[in-house]
Amino acid sequence: MENTNNTTPAILLKNVSKTFVLNEKKSGSLKSIFKQLLGRGKNKKKLKAVDSINFSIQKGENFGIIGRNGSGKSTLVKIMSGAFIPDKGGEVVRNGTSMLLNLGVGMSHELTARQNVYVSGSALGLKIKEIDERFDQIIQFAELEEFVDSKVKYFSSGMIQRLSFSIAVNAGADIMFLDEVFAVGDAKFKAKAIKVMEESWINGRTIIMVSHSLSNIKKYCKRALYLKNGKIAFLGDAKEAIELYNQDNEA
Amino acid sequence: MLQVLSDKINYWFFETNRAERIWLMAKIEFKLKFYENKLGLAWAIIKPVSQIIMYYVVFQVLMNQRVPNYVIYLFAGLMLWLFFTEVTSGTIKILKTKKYLYEYTNMAKLEIYLASIINSIIGFILNFIIFLIGAAISGIYPSYHYIYFILIFINLFILSFGVSLILSNLFLLFKDIEPIWGIVVGFGFFLSPILYRGDLFSKKLPILDYLNPIAGIINNARNVLMFEQPPNWNMFLYDMAYASLLFIVGIFILNKYSDRASEFL
Repeated sequence: MENTNNTTPAILLKNVSKTFVLNEKKSGSLKSIFKQLLGRGKNKKKLKAVDSINFSIQKGENFGIIGRNGSGKSTLVKIMSGAFIPDKGGEVVRNGTSMLLNLGVGMSHELTARQNVYVSGSALGLKIKEIDERFDQIIQFAELEEFVDSKVKYFSSGMIQRLSFSIAVNAGADIMFLDEVFAVGDAKFKAKAIKVMEESWINGRTIIMVSHSLSNIKKYCKRALYLKNGKIAFLGDAKEAIELYNQDNEA
Repeated sequence: MLQVLSDKINYWFFETNRAERIWLMAKIEFKLKFYENKLGLAWAIIKPVSQIIMYYVVFQVLMNQRVPNYVIYLFAGLMLWLFFTEVTSGTIKILKTKKYLYEYTNMAKLEIYLASIINSIIGFILNFIIFLIGAAISGIYPSYHYIYFILIFINLFILSFGVSLILSNLFLLFKDIEPIWGIVVGFGFFLSPILYRGDLFSKKLPILDYLNPIAGIINNARNVLMFEQPPNWNMFLYDMAYASLLFIVGIFILNKYSDRASEFL
């Protein structure tokens, strides 16, 4: 880890928490509507999905996040990507453009693949000219040559995932969040994506991987965060994190 | 002060690829709106023209209002009204339908609104061209007063923008705002001098000129476009202040709530 200490962090989290207020409505009967209008009968529950987390990820790092379902992984990733803002007192610093890769995030299902490439590319900071230049490459990488002008809503989940991965890689998002990305791609695309992941480490991109597939995390991430009930259970070497996670699950 | 503002605007739009991006999004939205169906762009014309035929039959033929050049008179009011309702009703759910756009951290939400409004402006320009043709056929030709129309349209733009900022952010907290706005628009149509003469309207219910910011805009637009008169400046300033106030409130609400948009939806 010596080589990462002197670079600037890609993401820095300071005292980040996230509390959700669950507003549980009872059935829409007239009685309950009246009660709600009067401010009574509300069932407010608070859920602390992420609890005072501090850490930073260096530029060019492959970082893994593991934890059980409901441990706050996705919430944490959404906070890091800027989709959610943390509770008061928390701070997230991000250096560079980021793209959250989760099925279909950042993509409109009403638009065609071509339009989505242009909109996403532009949103990631590319000029139209630059997108023109990279367009074929993006479509080729995603293996969607025949579906360029079809609407994304007719695509399979694998196709959508391929497209957004290809955009993020080729349009040069500085920080990529891979939230269970490898769950839907087929073997051939996975191999391709993995090749890119290995190369993008050289390009200085930062990759944050959320996965249940521990073998991928073990293989590609040096460091990992083990999240348990919204708190950091372990932060450090990926292999140790996975060991600890496995121990906890067996117990 | 002005220098600082213009530098800021310059930076915001042109140092980044924002201007390009807004135009790209507006174009795509325009395509989606008009090229999805068979008649395409013709719908931009069919909609106002069919409404005008209907109102003409009811108000001029059946009720005999005796407004000279009633079709043009109607069109002048209607095109402004349609622009306002299209912008406000069209953007009320924008934070929901365009969620995929602000998932990118360097996309400002204002851009998404601007793209949508620019798309409505393109539609308005089409209507305006038809208006010019219709007016010429009826013997009303552009005069130098048309220059004032730019000011009046800017006023309408600020008003529509402000209202759409307010409504779309209230929608996050309060989904009922959508049907409520449908009702308001329904009332507003009859409480604006679109179908009937503006002077009669102001005489009977003078307060409406001040409550309804569209009323003054429509009356002034007619002064300029049809009657070769300058706008009523008092009314213009009042409406401009009204619109600016709503716009400032809108920006304030946007800053306060929209960061959490993806949590509310």
